[in-house]
Amino acid sequence: MKSYPKRYQLNSEIQLIDLALFFPKKKILIISDLHLGYEEALNRKGVLIPRFQFKDTITRLKPILETTKPETVIINGDLKHEFGLIMDQEWRDILQLIDLIDQYAKKIVLIKGNHDVKLGPIARKRSIELVPRYEFDGYLVMHGDKIPDDLKQLNVHTLIIGNEHPAISIGDTIRRETYKCFLIGMFRSWLKKWNLIVLPSFNQVTIGTDVSKEKLLSPFLKDNVKKCEVIVVDKELYPFGKVGKID
Amino acid sequence: MTITRKTEPEQEEVILHLLHPLVKQWFFKRFKSFSLPQLYAVNEIHARKNILVSAPTGATKTLTAFLSILNELVDSAEKGILENRVYCVYISPLKALNNDIKKNLIEPLQEIEKLAGKSLGIRVAVRTGDTTAYEKQKMLEHPPHIFITTPESLAINLASLKFREHLTNVQWLVVDEIHALAENKRGVHLSVSLERLQKISPGLTRVGLSATISPLEEIAKFLAGSERDTMENSQPRSCMIVDLQFLKQLDLEVISPVPDLIDTDHKNMHLALYNLIHKLIQEHKTTLIFTNTRSATERVVHLLKERFPHAYNDENIGAHHGSLSRDHRFDLEENLRKGKLKAVVCSTSLELGIDIGYIDLVLLLGSPKSVARALQRIGRSGHQLHAVTKGRIIVLNRDDLVECGVLLKAAIEKKIDSIHIPTNCLDVLVQHIHGMALEGDPIHKDAMYQLITQSFCFVNLTKQDFTQVLDYLTGKYISLEDRHIYAKIWHDEATSMIGKRGKLSRVMHMTNIGTIPEESGVIVKLGEKKLGIIEEAFLEKLKPNDIFVLGGNTYQFKFSRGMVAQVEDAIAKTPTVPSWFSEMLPLSFDLALEIGKFRRLMAEQFATKKSRGEIIKFVNEYLYVDPNAAQAIYHYFEEQHTYVGVIPHDKLLLIEHYRDEHDNPFVIFHSLFGRRVNDCLSRAMAFAIARTQHRDVEIGVNDNGFYLGFSKKVQPLRAWKLLKPEELRKLMELAIDKTEVLKRRFRHCAARALMILRNYKGHTKRVGRQQVSSMILMSAVKRLGENFFILKEARREVLEDLMDIENTERVLRWCQNQALHVKEISTTVPSPFAFSIILQGRLDVLKIEDRHEFLKRMHQHVKAKVALKEGKG
Repeated sequence: MKSYPKRYQLNSEIQLIDLALFFPKKKILIISDLHLGYEEALNRKGVLIPRFQFKDTITRLKPILETTKPETVIINGDLKHEFGLIMDQEWRDILQLIDLIDQYAKKIVLIKGNHDVKLGPIARKRSIELVPRYEFDGYLVMHGDKIPDDLKQLNVHTLIIGNEHPAISIGDTIRRETYKCFLIGMFRSWLKKWNLIVLPSFNQVTIGTDVSKEKLLSPFLKDNVKKCEVIVVDKELYPFGKVGKID
Repeated sequence: MTITRKTEPEQEEVILHLLHPLVKQWFFKRFKSFSLPQLYAVNEIHARKNILVSAPTGATKTLTAFLSILNELVDSAEKGILENRVYCVYISPLKALNNDIKKNLIEPLQEIEKLAGKSLGIRVAVRTGDTTAYEKQKMLEHPPHIFITTPESLAINLASLKFREHLTNVQWLVVDEIHALAENKRGVHLSVSLERLQKISPGLTRVGLSATISPLEEIAKFLAGSERDTMENSQPRSCMIVDLQFLKQLDLEVISPVPDLIDTDHKNMHLALYNLIHKLIQEHKTTLIFTNTRSATERVVHLLKERFPHAYNDENIGAHHGSLSRDHRFDLEENLRKGKLKAVVCSTSLELGIDIGYIDLVLLLGSPKSVARALQRIGRSGHQLHAVTKGRIIVLNRDDLVECGVLLKAAIEKKIDSIHIPTNCLDVLVQHIHGMALEGDPIHKDAMYQLITQSFCFVNLTKQDFTQVLDYLTGKYISLEDRHIYAKIWHDEATSMIGKRGKLSRVMHMTNIGTIPEESGVIVKLGEKKLGIIEEAFLEKLKPNDIFVLGGNTYQFKFSRGMVAQVEDAIAKTPTVPSWFSEMLPLSFDLALEIGKFRRLMAEQFATKKSRGEIIKFVNEYLYVDPNAAQAIYHYFEEQHTYVGVIPHDKLLLIEHYRDEHDNPFVIFHSLFGRRVNDCLSRAMAFAIARTQHRDVEIGVNDNGFYLGFSKKVQPLRAWKLLKPEELRKLMELAIDKTEVLKRRFRHCAARALMILRNYKGHTKRVGRQQVSSMILMSAVKRLGENFFILKEARREVLEDLMDIENTERVLRWCQNQALHVKEISTTVPSPFAFSIILQGRLDVLKIEDRHEFLKRMHQHVKAKVALKEGKG
């Protein structure tokens, strides 16, 4: 019997499933920051480790697709790692990934991240939407590296971002381990407030940035980080409470 | 073919006879007569015999090695038959030493030329990473007759097509400070380079120069290697040993700054210590002070300047250690040579033989942890051969006092502890297989294997391991389409021939070989100011607002980004996390056993109810220490005996149960075997016990023993009895699997195995843990096989080089055959001997749970906390 990742009910509309966000009623699945080609980038820097990232990404993604059977899959930026030219390996991998998702979803939305500068050619090949952001039913999905100029005017209540690769270190004085996690909190600006959901990276080579001790990149994560709820992703999903309250 | 010891020096006439008149003339203008090492060795070197000369500093070792060589070069030059090739290769571990030697060879040559009235055309040159392209080109056209280099540069030159030609038919190979190379991978690397050199210079004579070390027979075998003409037949080459280690007279004492080491409070102890150091410095012309760590080095210099500003300033005292800039160190060495400095404080860097002028006293602050090291350090004083070697060891606690007392006895009785020579280092093998493939024509697989196994360090290399490394270099583990990125050589399985592959292969080799690991540390900054470096593992343990010590000051951690940690000043605040003791010097096993034996003799004194006076007299006589020290030692043992009635020793292992203030059970093992064995023993015990509990175990280790912390009471004796020496290796491989130290060593091995390249296609950026964590590196490699050679080598390095699994097996065998007894007791307050183990033991944890179980359990705690809160509200 195949085992599928357990789901975590965040609220009436949203489920967390492994590293993905799922809207069961709308059949929308969101993943983020795959950074395909990361190992190639490491290779170019002289780290000649054997490559497993792509295989692992597929292995992790398949059960999620199989159990959620989404109609729309949104890749929230940084599908691809390198800023520059598209290498052969990346070309092959990205097409293969798109083909896999194609088997399940009718629509694939690629949100432009800060690493996806030259994604154009690939996106054009499979007639996929390459957009700066995606709105549906009051939810705004964007990469998270910039605050949109017109945010105040938009009719949205929840911001869904990636880019930060949130992780958290858990433990006691003797042993500490770091795990990928979701951050659930609020974003306040110009006297307005929105719900904020930060997705962990789907990248299988690195864990991410430890939000309890590292300085963060995102303009959406400043003083509000301490009050964000942490949901750790491992074989199951574990709520650990607020960032500021974790030992 | 054997290793022999030369017991008698030659007569003066023998050497006079072989010297060219010019050389003879020059020599006696400079010196009165031949030194003892010269009388022993010069003729043998002239007769082309392999030889190892062990003598202390200032024993004229340079000329001992070079007199015959210079003699022949002068002779050839005069006869007009001096050729355009390298006659002698000289290797030392330090660039500074290389520069020294060059000077010490050019001066005599210039003086001889003056006597001859003409130029002889004998060239001496240094070749290292610092040599400019212009100089390298010159060397190619006019090769130096004496070629001075480092182990790494030798390997590079052996693989370079053009310069390699000049290395055919080399007559002599001199390895200086061989003791500093044999004990680590640099020496392993060199040993194979020497075989590669001998292949193209079959008439090579090997000369080794060593300071105080033991056993000399092993070093001689390491130097000489073997001849292997077929797969089945190999013969070790012969080598002569000249042992003049105790040539200089020893004036060595152990002193304590205060009469009472336990009841004197910290402040007064400190005061007394610095008064003592000051007094000793003032009583001598130039003093060399050794501490054991870099931070201690800086602290001592700082405090001396602060306490005695009229006596010390930047002009006459300085610190010398590896973290300081090269210019700073060079200036200091120069000033030392010129006699401008009153005192130099260093950690380990000045142990090697560079010329630092006249030193009349060496001070060791705290135990040097081995007899060999003590003698090497103290041997820096009294530069002339007939001068006395004067050293003082200052002890700061009672364990140090006992340890140094026993060390002093061993030094006086000439019992030097053994070194460990690493073998079968598969990561080093990668560099040589690659290098040999680059040498020119393709080489047969068997010929390559045969040559490698001529090295002392690879005598037991299995065909299987060799093949796995070969396959890795040919990219066999990678899919065909990606192979071009990874493969550095080709191997035609039909013909068994091996050659280089790819245009980048050569450049990659030349710019990346070497064995010294690059420490990728985290930079600690206060605003923009760089304070120092901490290890990545330490950063992982830090939480924001933790206060820690760095370089003697306290700081508060704020946040980190990538490889930088930002801190704020936290002056006078108490640290909230323990200092990170990165690998401190371990007590040698042999010395540990001597201390254990002393403990046993003391135990017998107490057991036979000897009086206080009688026991103090015994200590006085057995240990050569002064009455104050003898008294202090007596009191220490008397306390232990009074409190628990048992004195642990080399034949009695004491296990002590105790509970701390939170009622957590601890088990203390008084296993005085040195930290390397205790690192191993503690993990084996923890693993054996933890498997039944399935919980992580806290471990504290030091030289005198170790402790284990559990969540509930355990029965260590049962687990102890289950530990079988023949199963130890398998158990330890499991026990170290998730450790920090394995991850770190694995990273070093991966770099040596050219899987992580420092220089690649123009990149020279450090790739730290942020970009690819050691955990992910390891799991990527594990997929190539649980026993993939890089993993296998990392485990071997941890178990054999860092820890001491061989002697741990010995200890377990002693237990098995009742040579070592075990006794268990319980205490409410730890016994006196246990204090140092608990307080100074380096903390670590044995991870039994995997990441998933650990997370689950942490989550349970959180749930429980929440439930508690809600229950209250």
